Amino acid sequence: MDDSAVVTAFLGGEERAFSELVERYQTRLLNFIYRTIGDREKAEDLVQEVFIRVYRHLHRFDRSKKFSTWAYTIASNLAKNELRNRSRNPLVLMQAVQKNWQDDDRPLQFEDTTSRPDDMYRKRHLREIVEESVAKLPEHHRHVFVLRELEGKSYEEIAEITDCNLGTVKSRLNRARNSFAEIVAPYME
Amino acid sequence: MDCREFHKTHSAFIDDTLSGIELVGVQRHIAECEECAKHDAIVRRSLLLFRNLPRIEPSPDFSERLNIRIRELKNAEVPPVFHHSRVFAATIAVSSALMLGYIGSSLREVDSSRDIVFPPVVASIPEQELVPITTPAPALVASVPAGLPIWTAALYAELAPIHFASADRQLTQSGR
Repeated sequence: MDDSAVVTAFLGGEERAFSELVERYQTRLLNFIYRTIGDREKAEDLVQEVFIRVYRHLHRFDRSKKFSTWAYTIASNLAKNELRNRSRNPLVLMQAVQKNWQDDDRPLQFEDTTSRPDDMYRKRHLREIVEESVAKLPEHHRHVFVLRELEGKSYEEIAEITDCNLGTVKSRLNRARNSFAEIVAPYME
Repeated sequence: MDCREFHKTHSAFIDDTLSGIELVGVQRHIAECEECAKHDAIVRRSLLLFRNLPRIEPSPDFSERLNIRIRELKNAEVPPVFHHSRVFAATIAVSSALMLGYIGSSLREVDSSRDIVFPPVVASIPEQELVPITTPAPALVASVPAGLPIWTAALYAELAPIHFASADRQLTQSGR
């Protein structure tokens, strides 16, 4: 059963169809938002908000388009708003970072070579480096980068989700890939 | 193909969206240019690292929290009946406003010659108030149906006991 059929079933009054949509998209949307904003707890709140909006406005959804694109557009807008709010209030960002660190997720100091006794530890460290490198990308580039590399969206879908033209998407993706590679490269050698 | 061209088309090369001719051109360039070959390898490896990041899962109570919020949303929604009544009220309000507007405009259009003309007010002497009738004595009232003049009737009524008493005394004296 494809998304379109599930949406039709829900609009026909079948409440269970909505649970099916949640089941299909909760993890994907959570990872997309998490990689975009970098705060797990907030990402989960935003995914909840995405589904609330889907529930409320599904009757207005243009069914000639893909449901996944629509859902990602809502998620993308919420993530953008969250980042905008943070940039206006740096205290919120600081609190989010501190909260993550308190959860035993404190980033390791890369310079401290003695703190890498085994492969597992190194892998964890590399993972953190990669996550930090994504966070360092400019917001617009990161958005396109995550949609393409993590979610596997096509250029056309990304253009629709981010409300940009195709040329802008290609250009941003190319820059994001090069910047990301430049940041990560020293740690890969 | 030179290095500049390679960098321009590199993203499409990674996504495997180049045409046959372009693809051959890029592959040839990589085989010849060590610097661009290195760049290609770094970008591909870094992307692989990013794509292999562990995916996070929603917390166990995610669905439950969402269901609670949706139930709250359903309860807060306006019932259809109320929704219809609001439409009905709005229709009534609009039609009332239209009717008032029509009445107002038609009143303005009425010709002054069609106004109702009242007769002129004529001044007159005010009516005198009626004097209330005082209640007369019972004897006077009783005498009126008999047809007697008032003063004689009153005299008879007052002297009657005296006449009876003097007649009794005369009868007693004559008997002795």
